[in-house]
Amino acid sequence: MHDIDPGWAWSPVEESQQPWTRQLAAHLYRRAGFSATSETLDEAANKSAAEVVAELVDGRTESEEYLAQMKQLGRTVVATGNVENLPAWWMYRFLTTTDMLREKMTLFWHGHFATSGDKVTDPQLMVDQNELLRRNSLGNFGTLVAEISRNPAMLIYLDSVTNRKAHPNENFAREVMELFALGEGRYTEDDIRELSRCFTGWEIRNGRYRFNRYQHDSGRKSILGQEGPFDGDEGVAIVLDQPALPDFIIGKLYQFFIADEPAPPAELLAPLTIEFRENGLNIAPVLKRILSSQLFYSPHSVARKVRSPVEFSVGFLRALEGSTDQYALTSGLSELGQVPFFPPNVKGWDGGRTWINSSTLLARSNLIQSILKNKNTRFSNGTLSDLFDKHRLNSSQEIIDWLETMLLAVSLPETVRLQLQSKIDSGSGNREERLKEVVHLICGLPEYQLS
Amino acid sequence: MSLSRRRFLALSAPAMMAFGRSAPRLFAQAANQSSEKDSDNILVVVQMSGGNDGLNTVIPHSHDEYKKSRPTLAISKDDVFAIDDDFGLHPELNGFADLLEDGRLGIVQGVGYPNPNRSHFESMDIWHTCFRKNESRQDGWLGRAIDQVQQQSSLDIPALHLGHQKQPFALTSLVHRVPTVKSLDQFRLEPLSQMTVPELQQGVRLERSESANLLGFVQSSTENALDVAQRMLETTSGYQPSVTYPESPIANDLKTIAQLIDSEFATRIYYVEIDGFDTHSEQALAHASLLKHVSESVTAFLNDIQQHGHGDRVLVTCFSEFGRRVAENASKGTDHGTAAPMFLAGNAVQPGLIGEHPDLTNLEQGDLVFHTDFREVYAGILENWLNLESKRVLGGSFDPVAFLNSSVS
Repeated sequence: MHDIDPGWAWSPVEESQQPWTRQLAAHLYRRAGFSATSETLDEAANKSAAEVVAELVDGRTESEEYLAQMKQLGRTVVATGNVENLPAWWMYRFLTTTDMLREKMTLFWHGHFATSGDKVTDPQLMVDQNELLRRNSLGNFGTLVAEISRNPAMLIYLDSVTNRKAHPNENFAREVMELFALGEGRYTEDDIRELSRCFTGWEIRNGRYRFNRYQHDSGRKSILGQEGPFDGDEGVAIVLDQPALPDFIIGKLYQFFIADEPAPPAELLAPLTIEFRENGLNIAPVLKRILSSQLFYSPHSVARKVRSPVEFSVGFLRALEGSTDQYALTSGLSELGQVPFFPPNVKGWDGGRTWINSSTLLARSNLIQSILKNKNTRFSNGTLSDLFDKHRLNSSQEIIDWLETMLLAVSLPETVRLQLQSKIDSGSGNREERLKEVVHLICGLPEYQLS
Repeated sequence: MSLSRRRFLALSAPAMMAFGRSAPRLFAQAANQSSEKDSDNILVVVQMSGGNDGLNTVIPHSHDEYKKSRPTLAISKDDVFAIDDDFGLHPELNGFADLLEDGRLGIVQGVGYPNPNRSHFESMDIWHTCFRKNESRQDGWLGRAIDQVQQQSSLDIPALHLGHQKQPFALTSLVHRVPTVKSLDQFRLEPLSQMTVPELQQGVRLERSESANLLGFVQSSTENALDVAQRMLETTSGYQPSVTYPESPIANDLKTIAQLIDSEFATRIYYVEIDGFDTHSEQALAHASLLKHVSESVTAFLNDIQQHGHGDRVLVTCFSEFGRRVAENASKGTDHGTAAPMFLAGNAVQPGLIGEHPDLTNLEQGDLVFHTDFREVYAGILENWLNLESKRVLGGSFDPVAFLNSSVS
């Protein structure tokens, strides 16, 4: 990791060094989205990497009808009054959106500004926050923080519904510094106490933000070396201006898009943190640079991440043109350790190796088994045989080759390939049963857990 | 019946002292071989996540500073279970009060560490690894303990995490994989056909070219999951608890542990977690309910294993990543603080208060100054209970806190 030249790492990937293939396009869609169909990979392979990345970052391809449908579905879910119904709604969007990167970034920010329906309980407030994150997901980080600071769901989650002058509650101020903007250790306990004074008078009444000037402490504060009678917005602005901020956010984006481990040295991140700072904390340009970089398409990145449960399940269905019982799919997710709208704590999901333990591994395999068994499951509106026929896959070898490209970031050991092929050719049960078993086995192997 | 391990160690203790540093390992190994599997001591860790308000757990009810700092949250002398004249247990800690009266509860006061960190995640990592952020920390204290256990006598499942949360860092070992079991019912692979499990096992076991990295980690974890799931199916049917457990996730986890201890599992370390102690606002009711869950569940568990004949070899310890600020905030809650009590429970424990309570009139930034370093408690658990060498685990020498009653140690 320390040997990587930062200049090389973030320069655009070159066709001469790294030929653009269906495999690399599949890598891009796994990371920047939730995997893609075979047709999408064919189309992508006929363009350049830069063109496909530009479409992902800049494209707004969701139709008016689709957006109206999502809104209507959202209203229906909110009308049930039960936050437990929200994950299925978002999973449906993960499965169907054509703006994959925006949805992926919405999930990223949901983990970053983690807020749980467990505590907030009002589905409307959770949906509102979700829209806030989506609207800003590829926009400006400063705007995002400013908006989230007054977001009712967030303030309820962090016990800041009331904040009185006399003994300010430190919870929100602490998380702004530790988890939202700077990272642990980039501030002092005094900074937290002083910032919490800025937020006094910020309240939530009837699901709305309100400023109560009688409870605001308008005295002078000293935050991160600056002094003045700061209010909440000014306090946030001081935090946003810290040199530690771009390091922290870029570090998280690196982990989300490039590799779980090892942690990158500061020199490697420097070109990106400089760019992020210089462009005024705009997110899209930095993402474009990451996703079209030499490093992103290199062995330092490919297969260097553990799939999150959402990537695991949605990616399976999207790659194989699948659809299934929405509620069964979503209820299985909690066993895997990630339910959208219900992060485990204010730090969100740690990801990486922490996705993996004996229970989650068994649950991963069992989720695929239950999808394959479910009578409502379709692959390209039919069976697995129909799907493979549609893609003109005749021999068992062609099927395994195709599944490798569609599902795996790293190829299977040769012995396993042969074992799976002979299972298709001469295993027990009818052909569809054998195909299902082969797909189930692939998804239980270590290779499929990686992205 | 062969000589139990503990008696063997007790008999040979003078000999060990004569041998100096290297002797205990030798004897521990000999003891291990000569004893039955079920004579090995077991540790159950209960993690109370979020920062437990120690001052409203073990309560200095009559102290002026306490009453003054907690205008709405102070609990009065009349409501507590008395420990001595100065301290009492929270009114919902009936179970712990019974254990104390029964001589089975020790309370280490004011446990913390120098230069306290008030971030949940950083402080929890410090408790889990015994190291600070700027030091290299790739494994946890129990993970390193497991490495030693496995060197002494290789166990199928040296440690087990019960619960729906991600696995605690404390259990991370560089060499061994610790299983996480959410519930025994779901801890199995659902096959599409009879062939699925053996074929998957075969496919997983094959050597990979890049086994040192992430793929290797997932591979060994999958292998472990499939093996452990099979072992669980074979050995855990037909357990009848001898007490009624309360209805809560932590009670269910502890009931499962009782079941596993009573089966043939030679697991030495179990880990459970209860979250929600981060009481920044409207603390009183939430905190009371959490303490009730912990106390009732741990008490039911200890009574259950006692009646199944394993009481002498089980130690439960309860900890939190930090305590809370002495002064309450304006939301009828408390903010992140520092030192707090740790509980140790089991037949072998010396009952009552251990160490001194932090001085309420000598605060640092409004927080208590710790009295006992948590690594001293760990050292006591490692050296005197698990018979492991603590220095390697803790990354330094710490005086073991003496918490066992004299008839044991």
